[in-house]
Amino acid sequence: MTHEPTSLENEQVGKEAGDRARPSGAKRRTSQPGATSKTDFDAGRYLYCLVDVEEDRDLETVGIESEPVRLITNDGIGAVVHDCESVYDSDDHTEIHRWLVRHQSVTDEAAAVFGTPLPFQFATIIRGGDDVVCEWLENERDHIEDTLRSLADHWEYRIEIVRTDPIGEEALEASDDHLTELRADIEAAGPGKRYLLESKYEDRLEQLRAARNQALVTDVLTRLDAHAREVHPVDSPPGGALEGRRSRDNAGTSIGRLTILARADDEEAIGSVLDDVVDNPGLEVTFTGPWAPYSFTPAFGEETGEESDGD
Amino acid sequence: MEPRKDENALVDVLDVLLRDGAVIRADVVIAVADVPLVGLKLSAAIAGMETMTEYGLFETWDTSRRNAAIARRQYTESGSPRRIRSSRVPLEDGRGSNRANHDD
Repeated sequence: MTHEPTSLENEQVGKEAGDRARPSGAKRRTSQPGATSKTDFDAGRYLYCLVDVEEDRDLETVGIESEPVRLITNDGIGAVVHDCESVYDSDDHTEIHRWLVRHQSVTDEAAAVFGTPLPFQFATIIRGGDDVVCEWLENERDHIEDTLRSLADHWEYRIEIVRTDPIGEEALEASDDHLTELRADIEAAGPGKRYLLESKYEDRLEQLRAARNQALVTDVLTRLDAHAREVHPVDSPPGGALEGRRSRDNAGTSIGRLTILARADDEEAIGSVLDDVVDNPGLEVTFTGPWAPYSFTPAFGEETGEESDGD
Repeated sequence: MEPRKDENALVDVLDVLLRDGAVIRADVVIAVADVPLVGLKLSAAIAGMETMTEYGLFETWDTSRRNAAIARRQYTESGSPRRIRSSRVPLEDGRGSNRANHDD
């Protein structure tokens, strides 16, 4: 069974949804001047996640801005929501951070009750009331059920590999003729030329370090792939492999980040691979999870141009 | 090694929640297309990374990832990242702007 619908399937589902979903009370998008802004609405449902409601279970908790969170159920599919009347947007980073933490907590609570949820991106709000949510759930039933079934018992885990001590020059010279030659040339050179050669030497060192780091991350990815359903590198900001990037706690240089979709049963095997990595001096690993599979969710709707792949 | 879910672990995941997770592209959803969302610059700030110039943060963004990010509504089609709006969107009757409940 495929766990990720194809772009074509997304398109078909989206078209059906578009054709049928004209919820009553919802403001219709229009291009006329003076038209109602898309952000004005009388009633909305903030979506945290979707869950498989097999038994007679319920969820009541507190969400963003202390709003009461509840479940809207439609024949076995549950939407974890709170009622809202405005979008969540702010200049205040602290406020946004607080909202994110609360959103994440609600998703975790839903996961504890129902198993792996289908988590939404922050600030996904459906325009309308419970009836609109129910209608949307019904329209997207097949897609939702397929996804929940596919994600069942799977979680997202995230890994960061950090180089705390750069690979030593001696070790690199031992395996690289070019570097060894440069070293010899430097020792024989006069002051002017020496400066230029030392600069070349440093460049070569960094090149070799980057290549080794890249090879290490690729090796880890390959080994993890044997124990996970999916393993993907996580994009890093510019700076790239050559310069590296400070790790989150500034302990060293981050040389690779990975996100994994795996079962809880595979945690031990994954942890074992990572133990092998940290057996090497100068390397540290951050291993976090299990999280709701944010990076492995599909897109719903009419305009799915690209298939949403896990990062 | 066992996976952890402490404060530090959360920093990374909040960034993921901000940028990933299921999306709905349909009229039924408020936050689509023209509504600005918090951009990558903000997520970097929240993650406590060093401030990068806006240009520097985006200039070598890989094309395929950029297309995926557009699909995930993080970028406008013209290529600029989404911006944080300067004020909370008010309700039609002004209630939104009076929202002062901060005890989360």
